[in-house]
Amino acid sequence: MSDASAITLIDYDAGNLASLEGALDRLGLPYLRAATPDQAALEGPIVLPGVGHFEAAQRSLRERGWWRVLPSLVAEGRPLLGICLGLQLLAEGSEEAPRASGLGLLPGIVRRLGPGVKVPHMGWSQVQQRRAHPGLPDPNGGWLYFVHSYALAPTVETIFVAEHGRPFAAVEARGNVMGFQPHPEKSGRAGLLLLQSSLAWMGVSAPQPEVPCN
Amino acid sequence: MPAKRIIPCLDVKAGRVVKGVQFKDLRDLGHPVELARRYDAEGADELVFLDIAASLENRGTREAWVRDVAHELSIPFTVGGGVSRVEDARSLLRAGADKVAVNTAAALRPALVSELADAFGRQCVVAAVDVKRDPDLGWRVFLKGGTEPTPRAALDWLCELNELGAGEILLTSMDRDGTGDGFDLQLLEQASRLPIPLIASGGAGLEIHFLEALEHGADAVLAATLFHEGTLPIPRLKAYLAQNDLSVRI
Repeated sequence: MSDASAITLIDYDAGNLASLEGALDRLGLPYLRAATPDQAALEGPIVLPGVGHFEAAQRSLRERGWWRVLPSLVAEGRPLLGICLGLQLLAEGSEEAPRASGLGLLPGIVRRLGPGVKVPHMGWSQVQQRRAHPGLPDPNGGWLYFVHSYALAPTVETIFVAEHGRPFAAVEARGNVMGFQPHPEKSGRAGLLLLQSSLAWMGVSAPQPEVPCN
Repeated sequence: MPAKRIIPCLDVKAGRVVKGVQFKDLRDLGHPVELARRYDAEGADELVFLDIAASLENRGTREAWVRDVAHELSIPFTVGGGVSRVEDARSLLRAGADKVAVNTAAALRPALVSELADAFGRQCVVAAVDVKRDPDLGWRVFLKGGTEPTPRAALDWLCELNELGAGEILLTSMDRDGTGDGFDLQLLEQASRLPIPLIASGGAGLEIHFLEALEHGADAVLAATLFHEGTLPIPRLKAYLAQNDLSVRI
């Protein structure tokens, strides 16, 4: 497979790319790191990982030219997957940074978890399907790994929900834009399956082993 | 509430996982990646690697195996040992560790905990604390792998660590460590009043000890020998905890 249709991992000093790359290697999926949009693959899904502070991440994406380009890439039909803080940056905004706006590619404002529960929500929580999605199998109460202090409230459009004190959106999707609040690359087999099926839906799957011909 | 976590702890020396009694008679158990893969497949929820002979010289070796583990592992992992500056933690996190553990360096310079929390978020900061009970003074903090007593009261130190910005406490009872007699439940009950997650360590010998610890306020339990020797396979332990109505990832 050529780089033309590889998965583009946005590299902006706000994510743990080592684990994500390990997961993609285990799935046999082609990927490349891109610090700026000109380094992106010509086609194929773009993955926006992220840990840390909303505003710092937004600033870093702006400095590298991604912030301006992502909405147009999405408008052209490029699939975009946000993970953890990556999902939150796709929303309209966050309570973590009231002065900064989000990309607005997913509706809603990200709000702080709690009160009454330990924040950050850190650990394994069960995920339930709220609405079927053609690219994602029903997790059916499967466990995924979360590390976050903010989350999107679920709506009727939410795909998967989880709970920490109150229900929140674990997976959101609108057209070719998808966001995961959990870390699929840290969620064992269930996480790998989620990553594999979402990326397959976005057009990237592992090459089949070659069948010898006679 | 997130699931209760089962955490195997691996001691690493010069890039190899080792096992020994009180850091003596070390036996080689394999490369960190081999053990990481095995525990991932068995259903461990997280791993803790403690570099027991961390030094300036072996920093490069450590980054190399941390990078390899991050690449292979599909669950989160913590690395500790010799982390005394923000830069030490940064290199471990860059290499792919999810959290760093601090112990002696934090006790000697508590501001380290705040510096780490400010730089990386408190979810990255695990404060490891070794304690021993004094018949008159109660639980006291010990440093340098449990060899150096301090006059510090354990519970005061835990509160301070929370205020400084620790995201999690890894609490080892030296009285119980290596005995197989069960965790120090009184200690756990007191420590679990903190608003941050508590990992219980020291004393696991039987399935029921894990159940007791989790019922007495621990959010996670850590053990080494039982898992390494295969005496208590993780799937069996988790099945037992689930039968006893604890929420575990199976």
